[in-house]
Formats: sequence, structure tokens, C-alpha cells
Amino acid sequence: MESTYLTLLSTVVFLPALGALVLAFFPREKTEAMKYFALGVTALVFLLTLIMALPSAGDWQFDAAVTDMQKVFSVGWIPSFNINYFMGLDGISFPLVLLTTFVTMLSMAASWPIEKHVKAYCILFLILETGVLGVFLALDFFLFYVFWEVMLLPMYFLIGVWGGPRREYAAIKFFLYTLLGGVFMLIAILMLYFSSDLKMLSKDQLVAAHVISPELSEGEQAARFAEIQAHTTPRRTFNILALQQLGQHTDAFNGDVLGKPLQWWAFLLLLIGFVIKVPSVPLHTWLPDAHVEAPTPISMILAGILLKLGGYGIIRICYPICPQAGYELAYFVCALGVVSMVYGAFAALAQKDFKRLVAYSSVSHMGYVVLGIGVWSAVAGNEFNADAWKMGMNGAMFQMVAHGIASPGMFFMVGVIYERVHHRNLDQFGGLFAKMPLYSGLAIGIFFAGLGLPGLCGFIGEVFVTLSVWSFNHTLAIITASVVVLTAAYILWTLQRVYLGPEYKGPHGDHLHPMTTRELAIALPLFVLAIAMGVYPQMVFHYMTPSVNQTVDDLAGWAQRNAANLPQMAAFDPTAPAPVAPALVQAEIQ
Amino acid sequence: MDPVTTLPVLLGIAWLVPLASFTLILLFGPRMGKHGQGAGMLATAAIGTSAVLSLIALFFVWVPAYDWAPEHHAAHAEHGAAEHHDAGHGEAGHDDAHDKDAHGADEHQAEEHKTEEHKTADEHHDWRKPYVAGEWYTLGQFGKLRIGISYYIDSLTVTMFAMITFIATMIHFYANGYMHDELHEITDHEVTLSNGHHLHRPGRFHRFFQYLSLFCFSMLGIVIAGNIAMVFVFWELVGICSYFLIGFYIERKSASNAANKAFIVNRVGDFGMIIGLMILIATLGTFSFGDIDTDGDGTAEPGIFSLVRTEANNYALVVPDGMVRAAAASEIAAGVEPSAEQIAAWRAETGPGGIGRTAYWLLIVAGLGIFCGCVGKSAQFPLHVWLPDAMEGPTPVSALVHSATMVAAGVYLVGRFYPVFTPETLLVIAVIGCITLFIAATIAIVAVDIKRVLAYSTVSQLGYMMLALGVGGWSAGMFHLITHAFFKSLLFMCSGSVIHAVHTNDMTKMGGLRHKMPFTAYTMLAGCLAIMGAGIPFMIGLSGYYSKDAILAQALSFKASNPQWGFLFYVAAAGAAITAFYMFRLWFMTFAGKPRDHHAYDHAHESPKIMYYPLIVLAVLAVVVAWPFWPVSIVALLEQARPEGFHETVNGVLVSNLTHPAEHISHEPNFHIQATWVATFVGLSGLGLAIVFYGLSLLNPAEVARQFKPVYTFLWNKWYFDELYDYIFVRPVLFVANRVAEFDKVVIDGIIDSLAMLTRMVARLDDLSDRYLVDGFVNGLAAWTYATGSKLRSAETGRIRQYVMFIVVGTVAMFVLISLYIS
Amino acid sequence: MNLLTDPVGITHYLIVGAILFVTGAVCMATKRNALGVLMGIELVLNGANVNFVAFGSEYLRPGVLGIGLDGQLIALFVIILAAAEAAVALAIVLNFYNNHSTVDVDRADELKG
Repeated sequence: MESTYLTLLSTVVFLPALGALVLAFFPREKTEAMKYFALGVTALVFLLTLIMALPSAGDWQFDAAVTDMQKVFSVGWIPSFNINYFMGLDGISFPLVLLTTFVTMLSMAASWPIEKHVKAYCILFLILETGVLGVFLALDFFLFYVFWEVMLLPMYFLIGVWGGPRREYAAIKFFLYTLLGGVFMLIAILMLYFSSDLKMLSKDQLVAAHVISPELSEGEQAARFAEIQAHTTPRRTFNILALQQLGQHTDAFNGDVLGKPLQWWAFLLLLIGFVIKVPSVPLHTWLPDAHVEAPTPISMILAGILLKLGGYGIIRICYPICPQAGYELAYFVCALGVVSMVYGAFAALAQKDFKRLVAYSSVSHMGYVVLGIGVWSAVAGNEFNADAWKMGMNGAMFQMVAHGIASPGMFFMVGVIYERVHHRNLDQFGGLFAKMPLYSGLAIGIFFAGLGLPGLCGFIGEVFVTLSVWSFNHTLAIITASVVVLTAAYILWTLQRVYLGPEYKGPHGDHLHPMTTRELAIALPLFVLAIAMGVYPQMVFHYMTPSVNQTVDDLAGWAQRNAANLPQMAAFDPTAPAPVAPALVQAEIQ
Repeated sequence: MDPVTTLPVLLGIAWLVPLASFTLILLFGPRMGKHGQGAGMLATAAIGTSAVLSLIALFFVWVPAYDWAPEHHAAHAEHGAAEHHDAGHGEAGHDDAHDKDAHGADEHQAEEHKTEEHKTADEHHDWRKPYVAGEWYTLGQFGKLRIGISYYIDSLTVTMFAMITFIATMIHFYANGYMHDELHEITDHEVTLSNGHHLHRPGRFHRFFQYLSLFCFSMLGIVIAGNIAMVFVFWELVGICSYFLIGFYIERKSASNAANKAFIVNRVGDFGMIIGLMILIATLGTFSFGDIDTDGDGTAEPGIFSLVRTEANNYALVVPDGMVRAAAASEIAAGVEPSAEQIAAWRAETGPGGIGRTAYWLLIVAGLGIFCGCVGKSAQFPLHVWLPDAMEGPTPVSALVHSATMVAAGVYLVGRFYPVFTPETLLVIAVIGCITLFIAATIAIVAVDIKRVLAYSTVSQLGYMMLALGVGGWSAGMFHLITHAFFKSLLFMCSGSVIHAVHTNDMTKMGGLRHKMPFTAYTMLAGCLAIMGAGIPFMIGLSGYYSKDAILAQALSFKASNPQWGFLFYVAAAGAAITAFYMFRLWFMTFAGKPRDHHAYDHAHESPKIMYYPLIVLAVLAVVVAWPFWPVSIVALLEQARPEGFHETVNGVLVSNLTHPAEHISHEPNFHIQATWVATFVGLSGLGLAIVFYGLSLLNPAEVARQFKPVYTFLWNKWYFDELYDYIFVRPVLFVANRVAEFDKVVIDGIIDSLAMLTRMVARLDDLSDRYLVDGFVNGLAAWTYATGSKLRSAETGRIRQYVMFIVVGTVAMFVLISLYIS
Repeated sequence: MNLLTDPVGITHYLIVGAILFVTGAVCMATKRNALGVLMGIELVLNGANVNFVAFGSEYLRPGVLGIGLDGQLIALFVIILAAAEAAVALAIVLNFYNNHSTVDVDRADELKG
């Protein structure tokens, strides 16, 4: 079986890279053919992942009912450091993989207006896809890191070569920010690696972590286990699943470093690395610049996929590997999320540049993701009932997918109009509804998805996250709830300035021709998905909920096991309200 | 017909038909008939179908299936409570059996169609409110928390369905005529382009009906919703429909501003509502109103209502265990389920800061949060500012969305969520309603835009309903909601007819129009009389007569129990007088007297039949709908839906001596008669004033305005609410937004950029040191070597013999040295 | 000690070698004719050869064990080397003569620094 999975997942990951290789042999002047070829490759990868989502794909099928990793394979890569070519899928990564292949395909279709160095563009584009898919699928921390960096470089060039006037600045800013995050991550990876020891795990745990292949017979497993136990020196590992087991079931990562447990530092470093990618205030300023300068399809990928890597990393790595640090820093994480939401919304309200506004809306919307992941409400006062956290984490995951649909849509809509009039000044639009009714209708629909209107995808994630916060902290909950007002304000004001009004106020008004078929073919799927996910969220929850719930249950279980050693987290603010008339308070409320 | 299985299907279809219409028009709208004319017909047919289905559900399913709850039952008088009792025990028994049938049938149903009927537990003593609840499908489930699309059908739901679909049908007909202009290319005279011309644009007939259909779907969704989260979903959807419809004339800046204002102000209310939702889900773990068996184990999980009002406690308000537990969270040890005794002990602990007290506060805050949403939607003080601006939309929209249905949704939700409100919450509701009704009524006196007068009147009437609900008059409030929907939609449609005729909203340009458009004039007169509450005391009256009387009587009864809150009654009575005054001011200014603007007058004409036929139908209904003589009277229907626990007088807990008298007390002669007289008197006095000022022009209103200039200016500027909000909310928010953006640019990016600069400076230093220190050393060494070499080159003569000499001499010298030093 | 009175021993051989060496060296240093210089070189080499042979002789160095034929062998090498060197050197000289029509080494100073 493993070899089937090896073929399957490797194909998914490396097919784009292979396509890039083939593209290198295309004659320089055949730009149209290159674009078609690249589109074909992305479409093929999308089809491949789509088939996995279908119910009757046999061995290939992604089984939504399984909570653990599936399609797992592990092949030695650098044995001297225990590094494996180790990949797998679960309900957390699969929706994101599907989203990646889908958005990449649409972005490639949106790349038709690119005329400069088409060959290089397509090659970098495909390599980028390989990098992203690799990050989502990798289960070996080292492999994860490699893909993380692989993804970084094409993005740098895609912004820096094909971008707008300030592209070099934006590209370097993007690169340095992300590289900084990557470096922090690397430090944390090494910290964890050098304090890990497979010998601390039981045989079952090792099998669960795929250190010992579950496909082996009982006897072989025992032999492998004995072999691991026989070593005198600690057996280090990069296996993310094994690190999770170590973090949750042993005190391998609790060694003291500068007065704090090692995992506290590791968590913080990883969090910074991921939060830069999300991005959360105050590490977000690369995003508006990168978006404003990047060409439309790259903005789509950036907003639709790359931001999700941060959220994915927090769910997959930060919390499960460092639960204690996650518990102690839960307020910090949630506060990051809430601050991003509020800050992003305020900043969006003040923007004059259409694309910058959408970029800040991304900051605000991704704040929900960080918040939803962080609401550690499985605490003593709650009897470790993790339902609210499940709701938050599922909401966060849904928000990632929903934002992955809505945000590329918004950027594409901005791109469509930018291509026609070559400016993005919000004060110089207006009246587009009359000139381009179909476009405006779709755009308004997609922007409403961003606004979180019920029936569209943005609502589900936002409302689940918001509702889950009360059990964690009341103040944060109230601030969270208030963001709906700001969101409505900046989105509606934007719509008013761009689409409504009597006439178009900016330059190149005569270029405002209706949407082309190609543009429609990109916008319509996004629009339809935005509605479908809003009306029938089960189509996403179906895949993600079992795994997400499993993750939350594991962490809640950890909290319960370690309840005695943990600092009490106040689940409810016991400060009494000001007494109104204490003497008249009745004993029984009837 | 079996209501448990029939009602969800009938009302579900009635709910979804407009959605189908919306989808079809969205996809094929412009191709429907000539210029999209077919869209109007389709939408009308769709809502007509819904109306037929709703009426069938009401008259042929609900009414035959459930008995009436008689208003009084002598046997229970001694308990001091009006037990609304089932008159026919046999019928109740039937209900019981029926219930079992429902369960039996349930098990055969597909799982998305689980229905649960309330148990008629003790058929001998209590009337148990009948309802049908179930779930269609789940949006998400996490552990025990689930959010789904479900239904909760009681007689209020059915009545609301019938009312909404019927009025909507009338308005659809009317709109087919009113929006006729949109069939052609039209010129918008209110929009001037930069080149000085007026805007020409293609008509948008189909789009109007597309939004109307979506609105009907969303509105019915609110009414049928079986859980508070679903209410919130459709709450937002009606909000967005309202946004689209207010901003229908998208080219007009004022329209898009008004649309934005409406939506954003509503979102402020939603902010509170979300907090309420958060508390409910966090403490109760359910959003469902009724008891629904969602996990399929045969027993229903209790909904919010059952948790708040348990049968064991005789349906009196009780703080649910979940809230007590949440309040006591810090006292619960890890992994231990608190025992029932513990919870009871905590509940009793009500001293300052005690757990029971905190839990009670949670309940209050949850209720207030939900009410916040209602404040936004129903345009109550302090969020009333959006509704008058919303009149930018086409008039049928104002009639349907902004008077009869959507704005009433807030009142409806207060009524629906009534069991959860504590007496203290209700008091807040009453006070808010009271303030609203007064503010809006005073502004309406001076407004000259015909639709704005009606808009303020709507706000004021909604305030009445809130007041009624707040003082314990559940059925009075709901009753007024229904009657108001009929006469206010009528009034709006009449005003639309006038606007259609004279092409202006300004009443100062009207006058004498009754000669030109008699149907409009006299149907509107009926509407004015209805809203004034005209009637022959104790004999017969228009619909407003009954509902307003009920409200005043309840306010009076409340005043009797709580003398310190007596002003609620006085304000309500004063409001009634003002209502009569401004409504007849409107009528006189529009239809009576001499034409003020002859140009407008000359072009005026009666509207086409498709517009005034609905007016006549509604006028008749505005007169008769509330009559108690009908076999199916609204009051009796509403009494069936009265929330459990509100058959009796309830007392406040936190606020001293707050008492909500049971509503049946207000029917007793000492309140009822007094209230009727008061209502008649204040109504007539308002009417009289209007006649004096505008009907007979005995006094000149302009004189009075000059006399009371400050008051007049204050009212003319709508109490300066818009300016106030601009100063305390809009500007600060924009200010903060700009500062945040600047902070981003200046501080964060500044730090990043200066870090980059610093790095570059370090790099330059590094470069310098490289160039001058490291390279200097290496180069210097090389230079020295070169110089030495140059100096030594003169020794290289190229002569062999010399070299040999060197070798020899060198060898000899070495030998000499070695022999000297080594030996 | 008196060399004239002592029986012929290793010292005598060494003295002969040294004289040969010095003669060769002086010859190299003073002759301007390239062939003369080559002769000087031969003398120097043969002076060294005498030393090798003398040190390698069991007869001259009684009591020293394990000398074997090393000295003789090296002397043979030197002779062969000298022959090779002479061949090469004579070729160079011939070439030099062809180019400069002289064999005066003082004229061959092109390597001057």
C-alpha cells in the first residue's frame, strides 16, 4: 500500500515540478502554448486531488471518516539524521491541498495577461505549486522546512519580476519577513530534534507515528521496537507525528531553557514563523505591499494559499507538539488574532488603494483563524469539555478554506478592473454597475462573502469562531463580535465607491468593456463555491471535522491528564456586577 | 390533516417558493418577457403561491387541529393566575394521542424531518402551548453543539406567515404597476452627471422583483426559524435585501448612503445579538427554541425555552443549570461533573458576587444581547436613525420591508424569545420602546416628506409594540404587530400612489389631491383612521382600535402594579395623540385643501388598477382584520402561542418591586374601560388639533413653528441624532482608522524600513572595513613582497660563473658556520 | 696525525675527492668557455664519486656493518647522471653556439633579473 501512496502523493507534489522541467524545453516564442501547458498541468493536479475527494476512487480515495493520517508513506532520505521522505494526508491538510490545486489552476488561468518572460513565469509558478503542496503533505519536519523554503524563492521572483512599480521593495520585504520566520522555525526544529528521543515512546505510539510501519506484522513491529530500544544513545527524530506524541505524552520538551520549558521557546519561535505567514499584526506589513505590487494571479495565490500555510502550521505543529506552551500562551495567541481582526479592519477602512484594502481585509479575516485555533476552552471549569474549542478550530479551518475562495475572488475582481483602467484609486471609481453589470454582480457577491453574509462562505467560519470565544474569554469575545460592524463598514463603503454611483470618475473610462469569457470562467467557480460552501458547509466539514476534532480531543485529553501541573486558566470572570439593591436580592429566582 | 407532518411541508414550501423565484430571475431575469416583465409576474406568482399555502396552513391545518385557549378559566381564578385552559378535554386528549402518533410517525421519517410536538402533559390543569419543531439539516456540529436549519411552528408562526405572504402578495401586485417605469430606458432626474445631463439608464424591473423574492424568502426564514442562530442567518439576509432595495437607485448617492447606513446600523445591533448568541451557546449548548430530538434516540433534547422554563418549576423563569455552572466555573474541580445539589446550592447563593446572582446576570445579558439585535432591526432608539433614510428605496419596498415585515422582525423576535427575558430585561425593552415612540412621534410632526412622516410613524408604532411587550403585554404587542402591518403597508402604498402621481415626496407641493385620486385618498383615510385607533368605544372599531387599546390597557395595568414606572403609560397615551395628529396632518396636507403646486396637481392622476385594487383590499382588511367576531380571531390565535410562564404575574429579582402583571388582568373592566376612554380621547384630541391646523386652517402652523422656533428646529433636525452619531461614532472610527493606517505606514513599516536601513549601514561599514582593513593588510603584504623582490633582482645577473661563485662561497660559509656552531 | 705517514685510509680518499671538487668548482667559476665549465662539473661530480666510493668501501671502513654496495651503486648512478647531463648540456651548448656563434658563458645572461 505504501508504494501506492508514495506514487500518488509524489505525483501530486512533483507533477508541477515535472511540468516546469518540460516547460524549459519549449521554444521561447511559443508563449501561448506554454500558458496552455501550465494550465493543463495545474488542471491535471487539481483533477488528481479531486478524484481523491470523490467517494469511489478506491485506493486513492480520501476517507473522510478516518481521523488519523492516511495515505502515509515513509522512505529513508538522509538516514544519518533520521530524515525521511515522509508524507501523508488527514482532514486538516486535505481540504487545503484541494484548495491549493483549485486556486492554483484558477490563478494560472488568470495569468493570461502576463506577457513578460512567459516561460520563466510558468516555470516559477509550477515550482511554487510543488512547494506549497509539499508543505501541506510533508510529515517530516525537515522535509516540511525544505518545501517551506522551496516555496519562498519562486514567490520572490514572481513578485519581484512581474510586479508593479515598487516590486523590488515588496519582493525583498516579503522575502526577508518570510525568511526570518523560516529561520526561527529552523531554530525551533533543531531544538525539538535535539531533545527528541524515540525511545521514550511505547510501541503503539511509535506505530501511530509511523516510525514503525503499521503494515508490518506484529512480530516485525516488535523487532523494530526492540531495535529502537536497543540503542544506547537517544534516537532523534524529525517525524512530526512522533514529535506530537513526545510533546503530548512525555516530558521530552520540558527541559529548562532560560527559566522556561524548552517547548515554550519552541512554540514561540514556531508561532512567530507561522504568524508572519498568516499574517498577524504586528508582523503583517509585508502583505499589503506584496499584494499591491504582485500581479493579479500571484495575489490570488498569495491570499488564497500562502496565508493558509501559517494557520496550517499552527494547527499541525505548534499546538500538538508543544501543548503546554500552547496552554500557557493561549491568551497571547487569541490576543494576536483579535488584534489582527480589529487592526486589519480599521486599516482597511482608511485605505485609498483598492488592492491594499483587500489586503488589509485579509489581515482581518485571517485574525479569525488565529483566534479560532487558539481558544483553548478545554479547562477545568469546563470539565475539559472541548466542544467550544472544536467549534472554534473547525470554524478556523473553515475560515481558511472560505477565505481561500473569497480572497482570491476579491483580488481577481480588483485585477479585472485594474487591467482595464490601470489604477486602483478607490476615489476614482464609481458607476461600474452600469457599465459592467455581470462583473459587478459577481464582485458584489464575492465581497459579501468577505463581509460574512449568511449563505456565503465567509459567514460560517466567522460565526463559528466568534461563537466559540465566549467560553474562553468574555472580553475577547465582545471585541470579536464588534468586528462585524467594522467589516460591514469597510466593505460596503468600498462597494459604494466602486460599483455604485452614477458614473465612472477615473481615467480610461472607455476601456470598461464587459468581462471576457476567460475572466468569467475564473470568477464564476469562485462565486459558485462561495455560495455552495455558505449554504452547505458540510461539504467542507465532512472532510475536516473528524481530524480537527481528534486534534482537539488529544489536546483536551492532555490538559486533563496534566490538570494538576497547570496554572489555572480563568474560564469565567468571577468579578461580580455592581450590586443594584443587595438587600432586595431574593434567594430563589422565580 | 396531521399538523406535525403537514405544517413543516406546507410552510417549508411556502418559504422556498420565493427562493426559487429569486434564483430563476437571477439567472434569466432580463430574458423574461419584454424587458423582463415576466420577472414581476413570476415573483408575484411565487409569493401568491406562498400566500395560498400559508393560508391553507392556517385555516385548514392549524385551526382544525388545535383548540382555542379560552381567555379565562374560572376554576383557576383562585390561584391568582389565568391558566389558559383547554376547553375541551377530549380535544386535549386527542392532542395527546396525536402526539404519540407524531412520535410514531417520526421514526419512519427521513432523519432530516424529525419533528417533535410539545407534550400536553397534564391535560386537566394546564393549557400547553402547541407547537411543531424539528430540524431540516445541520450546518455544523461540534461535540454536542450543533447549528442547523430547523423550524419551530406555533400559531404565531402560522399567523405571521399568513400575514407576511398576504401583504407581500398585495405589494407585489402593486409593485408591478409602480415599477412600470423600470421597464423602459429611464431618466433619473435626481442624478446629474458631470456633463450636466440627467442620467439615462436601462430599466431594472426584473432586478427589483429578484430582490423582493429574496427578501420574502429571508423574512419567512426568520419566522419559521427553529433556532436563534438560524434567525440570525436570515436576520442578516433580510438586512442585505433591505440594503439592495434601499440602494435600488444605485446611481443616487443618497440611496447608497442610506443603504450603507441601514446595514451598518443594523450590524451594530447584530453585535449585541452575537454576544447574546455566544452566551447562549456557551452556557446552554443549544440554539434551538423547541425540544427537538436531534440525535435520534427517541427523547427530545430540551431547547432554550424548556431550559429556561422547566415544567418542574411550573414554567416560571429559572436560570438554567448551564448558566449556573458557567458562573461557578472557577469552583468546579477538574473533570468533575457538579452534582444537582451543588448546582442548587450555587443557584441559591445570590449575595453580591454570588454565583446565582452572576448566573442571573448572564441570563439578563443574553436577553439584552438578543434585544440589541431587535433594536437595530426594528429601528428602536438609539439605532432608529436608519429607517427614515431607508425611504430612499422605491415605495413598495418601504411598504413591505420597512413597515410591515422586516422592521417588525425585531418585535417578532422579542415576542418569540419572550420566555428567556427576565423582568429586568423586559423593563429595559419597555423603556426603550417608550423613548422610541415618543422621539419618533415628535419628529413626525414636523416632517414634510410624505414617506418620512410614515417612516417616523413606523418607528413610533414599533416603539409601541416594544413597550407593550416590555410591560408584559405579549399578545397586545404581537396583535399590534399584525394590525400595524396591514394599515401601515396600506398607508405606504397610498403614499406611493401619490408619489407616482405627482413625482415628489414633498407634502408642501401637494394638496387637494382627493379630487384627482379618490381611491387613493379614501383608502388612505381608512389607514389613517386605523392607525389612530378610531372606533366607537366598546362597540366596534378599526383594527388599530383593538390593538392600541390592548397596549394602553396593559400599560395601565403595569402602572397600577408599578407606580414608579407610570410614565410609560402617559407617554404611550401622549404618543397616541401625536400619532393621530401627524397622520391627519399628512392626510390633510396631501388630499385636502387647495393644490399648492399647480404643475404637480395638473399632472396628477389616479394610479392604474393594478395599484389601487391592492389598496382597496388592504383598506378593507385594515378595517376588519382585528374584529373579534370572526370565527378565527387574531387575538385567540395569538393566545395559543403565548409563551409558557406568561399566564401569570411575574416579579423582578434585581430591580426592587418590579411586577409584570399577567395580561388577562388588563382585560378586566377597571383597566380596559379606562384605557379605551383614554385612547378615544387622546385620539380625538389629536385629530381635532390636526383639523384645527390643517383641515380648517383655523391656526397657521407656520406661526406656531415661529413661536416655538428652538423646539421646531430641534425636531426638524431629528433631535440631532445624525449629527450626534457622526461626531461620536463615525468620525472617531474614521479617525482611528486613519491613525491605524498611519501607524502601519509610519511606525511598523518605519521600524521595518529603518531596520533595513540599519542593516544597510552595517553592511556599508562592513564593506569599508573589508576594503581598508582586511584588504589593506593583504595588499600591503603583497606590496612589500614585491618591493623586496625588486630590490633583490639586481643580484640576478644571469652569469653562470657568478652563480657558481655564490654557490661555492655560500657552501663554504655554511661549512664554516656549521663547524663553528655545531662543534 | 700525519697523512703522509699513516697508511692509506679513508681520509686520503676524501682529500683527493675534495681536491677534485675544489678544482672542478674553480674551473666552473673561472672558465668562460662553456665546455670548460662542463669539464669543471665533471670534476665536481667525480670528486663526489670518490667520496661515495670511499665511504662505501668495507675495506676502508672496517667494523662498520651493513654498508653493502650502496656507495658503489650511487657512484654508478652519478656516472650515468653525469653522462646524461653532459649530453643535455652539450646539446644546449651546441644550440647556444648556433644562435650566438660563441660558447662564452658570460654572453649567456638572458636570465638576468
